[in-house]
Amino acid sequence: MKENTLVRAIQYTALLVGVFIVMIPVYLTINLSFKTQVESAQSFFAPPSGLYFGNFASVIKGKFWINLGNSLMITLVSMLFIMVLIPMVSFAISRNMKHGYFKFVFYFILAGIFVPFQVIMLPVLKHMSNLHLLNQLGLILMYIALSFTQGIFLSVGFLKNVPIELDEASTIDGCGIWQTFVRIIYPLMLPIIVTIVTLNSLWIWNDFQLPLILLNRSPNYWTLPLFIYNFKSDYGANYNVAFAGFLLTMLPIILLYSVMQRHLISGLTEGALK
Amino acid sequence: MEVIRTTQTQLARKKRSILGSKKMLVYVMFTIPALLLYIGFFFYPTLMGFNYSLTNWDGMARTYKYIGLDNYLAIFKDTRFLHSLGFTFKYTLIVVILKITLALGLAMLLTTNLRFRGLFRSIYFFPAVLSLITIGLIFNEIFLTILPAIGEALGIEALSRNILGNKDTALYGIIIANVWHGVAVPMVIFMAGLASVPKDLHEAATIDGASRSQRFVSITLPFLIPMLNVNLVLIIKGGLTVFDSIVAMTDGGPGTSTESIGFLIYRHGLLENKFGYATAESIFIFALIALISFVQMKWLSKKEVGQQ
Repeated sequence: MKENTLVRAIQYTALLVGVFIVMIPVYLTINLSFKTQVESAQSFFAPPSGLYFGNFASVIKGKFWINLGNSLMITLVSMLFIMVLIPMVSFAISRNMKHGYFKFVFYFILAGIFVPFQVIMLPVLKHMSNLHLLNQLGLILMYIALSFTQGIFLSVGFLKNVPIELDEASTIDGCGIWQTFVRIIYPLMLPIIVTIVTLNSLWIWNDFQLPLILLNRSPNYWTLPLFIYNFKSDYGANYNVAFAGFLLTMLPIILLYSVMQRHLISGLTEGALK
Repeated sequence: MEVIRTTQTQLARKKRSILGSKKMLVYVMFTIPALLLYIGFFFYPTLMGFNYSLTNWDGMARTYKYIGLDNYLAIFKDTRFLHSLGFTFKYTLIVVILKITLALGLAMLLTTNLRFRGLFRSIYFFPAVLSLITIGLIFNEIFLTILPAIGEALGIEALSRNILGNKDTALYGIIIANVWHGVAVPMVIFMAGLASVPKDLHEAATIDGASRSQRFVSITLPFLIPMLNVNLVLIIKGGLTVFDSIVAMTDGGPGTSTESIGFLIYRHGLLENKFGYATAESIFIFALIALISFVQMKWLSKKEVGQQ
């Protein structure tokens, strides 16, 4: 019994130390963004004496809102296409696996897991520049194309457990393939679609490499990760403004996480586990 | 009669095959948009990568020459590339060890019967949803401004210098930021593994007098092997392609001491006009990652056999 209490105490201590380590950067970010430089020079850790919003004002006087809008638009439009295209092609593949064409399409797309982003990073720049797609549309097309390998792998696996008798029954009821897909199969795929949506929207929202390659032309094109990266040159030595910028860039995700953390956690892990 | 019947069945068969191919056509149409996008924006650039790696293109000139495998021969004589390879391997090794140990430890703590388990879980997972570029910039500020000030106030010399500003320690600064961000996902994957261990096995072993560590080694660990494999592959892949945090924290410096392969490809290709050369370097990472993915696929198919 005594040993058990000791073990418990050690467990809680370890966990609390971990919580401290996780929270310190977050606390500092929030704390310092509400302080003036003079105040934070006295202590980094003491809570601010009042809420000073001047740092935030310096952040949003740049292109913050435009770049936030770009991030939202790019993520939403990519997700819209991903949510339609991946289930469609996965449905066709899973119902015709014996057919050579579909088998080929499946393995051809699956082979993408062998190719790291670095391989296409440089050619994509030349390719998109030739197509005059060094803009948001080009970025969206890239995200859609890059989402297929994992998404189709997950969805085809999921559809193995959706009985083909359902398709047959709906054909007898007079539904065509398209209607069967829209009315019967798509609703049944919702769990895996939720996983795909969480995985991909987090990746697209946080991605830095592709926007860096494709959108670095004009600040009006930037997404939030590019905004915060280039913001470095604006704030110079004023780290309070820097932290205000970090906080504002993280805010949308913090809000989303507080509302639907369960989905985010399961989405991120299920994607890896299957 | 006979004749009529045969023509009727023939007609029916013909009708069925037309219907069948029409159905097939609809299915094929379902795959067309995705296939075109995949070919146009993924497969074609990949092929072009192989193509450019055989040229001496600087990335801007109108013409370039095919120089065979010269780029591949050259990168293995390039000390900068070899150094970045060494840096990337060292980084990956340390990150793998740290992330796996911390993730496993936390997963075990968080699956015991605790108060506030849900809250702990939410807090520990939080870093995973943030972007690495922002995390890198935050840690950069902490190392640059906050820790030195604390070090000076407390008179601790080791703290008062920016660890990112020193060739020998910058690696560890980058590792700290990445581990802070990257423990959460392997942790939750391990938690899924721990949840799959049957409780009665543990109870039976306890009755038989097995100690805590004996139970861990002979009961828990075998159930965790699949999760360990997944985590290893994920972390190794992430380690070999590390990019964002380096751009945010050191920009490859001081000097060229923290250039990872991913970062060097970017620099060579886009900033130093060695486009063909950089694609050859990228094909080299491709070979490494392909090998790892291949091992992963082998293991995945084995797992499926084991389950049946």
